Amino acid sequence: MINPTYLAQRTRSSVNWTDAKSRVLKSYREWLRAAPEIQTQYTLNVPVSTIRTKMRQEFERHRYVAQLPAVDVLLFHSHAEYQETMNFWKQITHVLKYFRAEEDPKARLPNNFVNGFLEARN
Amino acid sequence: MAALQRSIRLQQAVRASQLSSRHFSNSARRLAANTVQSSPNEPPAAQPGESQMIRQEGAAEARPRHEPDYNVAVDYRTSTFSPIPKRVMDGSEPGDTTPAAVLSGAPVDLQARTVRIFRPTKTATQSGDWHSHAWQMDWDPLPKGHRWENPLIGWQSSADFMQGERISFKSKDDAIRFAEKQGYEYFVQEPNERRFVPKAYANNFLHSAKPLKKIPTK
Repeated sequence: MINPTYLAQRTRSSVNWTDAKSRVLKSYREWLRAAPEIQTQYTLNVPVSTIRTKMRQEFERHRYVAQLPAVDVLLFHSHAEYQETMNFWKQITHVLKYFRAEEDPKARLPNNFVNGFLEARN
Repeated sequence: MAALQRSIRLQQAVRASQLSSRHFSNSARRLAANTVQSSPNEPPAAQPGESQMIRQEGAAEARPRHEPDYNVAVDYRTSTFSPIPKRVMDGSEPGDTTPAAVLSGAPVDLQARTVRIFRPTKTATQSGDWHSHAWQMDWDPLPKGHRWENPLIGWQSSADFMQGERISFKSKDDAIRFAEKQGYEYFVQEPNERRFVPKAYANNFLHSAKPLKKIPTK
C-alpha cells in the first residue's frame, strides 16, 4: 500500500466552466487560509495581508483565460505550488520570488518612455 | 425607491430592446435587456453589464499596437536588460491556439523580443545544401547587454540568454504556429530560391530567321 504524499491530488479535468470556477475558488480559499502559516514557516518579514494580496494578484493575472484546458493546467500549477509551499519543500528564496517586484527596484520596468530613456535600457 | 428605479430601468431596457431588435445582434439585445445568459460551456469572460471597467473593444482600438506597453505585469526574472513588450499574452485571445506563453512559465521578456523564422542559406564555398532544408527560429540580439568583455579574464559575457538558441522546424507553418503559441513577435524571412535555366548546347547551332540573341546562362 503506497501512501500518497501529503496534499497530493489526482489529476482531473474540469467538466465545464462552472466546475472550473468552483475549483478555482476552492484553490483560492486554500491559499488564503494558508497565508499565516506560510509567514511563520518561511519567517517572512512581510505582513499576512501582503501575502494575501500577492495571492490575489496571481489569481487575477489569469482571470480572462478563455480556454478550459488552459484553466486546468493553471489549476494544476496552483496546486503544485501549494503542495510545495505547505510541505516545506521550498526555500525562502523561492517564496520571495513572488515579491521581487516590490522588494527590488531593479526588477521593475520603467513607467514611461522618458524614464526608460534616462535609464538607457533595451 | 430601489424597486421604482429597477422598474424604470426595466422599462427603458424593454423600449431599447424593442427599438433595436430588428437591426442588432444577440449580444446587443442582451446588453439592452440587461439580462446576461451564460451557460457552463462558455468562458466567464467579460460579461456586458453596468460596469465601466469592462467594455467591448471597438474596431479602432483593436488595431495592432506598435508602442511598448509599460503597464505590463512583470515576473521575477525582469532585470535592467529586459526589453519592454508590446503585448503580453494573457490567455484571453480568441481562437484555438494554446496560450503556451501563459502556461509554460517562460519569462515575460521573451514576448518582448522579435524572432526571425528563416531557412539557412547554403554554404557559399560548397555546392551541397544539406544544412538548408529545415526552418529555423532565431532571436534578434538585444541592443544593450548582448555581449561585453568580462573584466576578469577577457571572456565574452552576455545578458542575453537566447543568444545561442536556434530551434529548427520541419516546415514554415510549424515555426509560425510555435511563435504564435508562445506569444513571440515574429517575422518570416523567405529563402532565396536558386534560379536554374535549363540549357542545351545544341541550341547554339539551331537556325533562326531573326538576328541571333544572347541566351542568358546566369
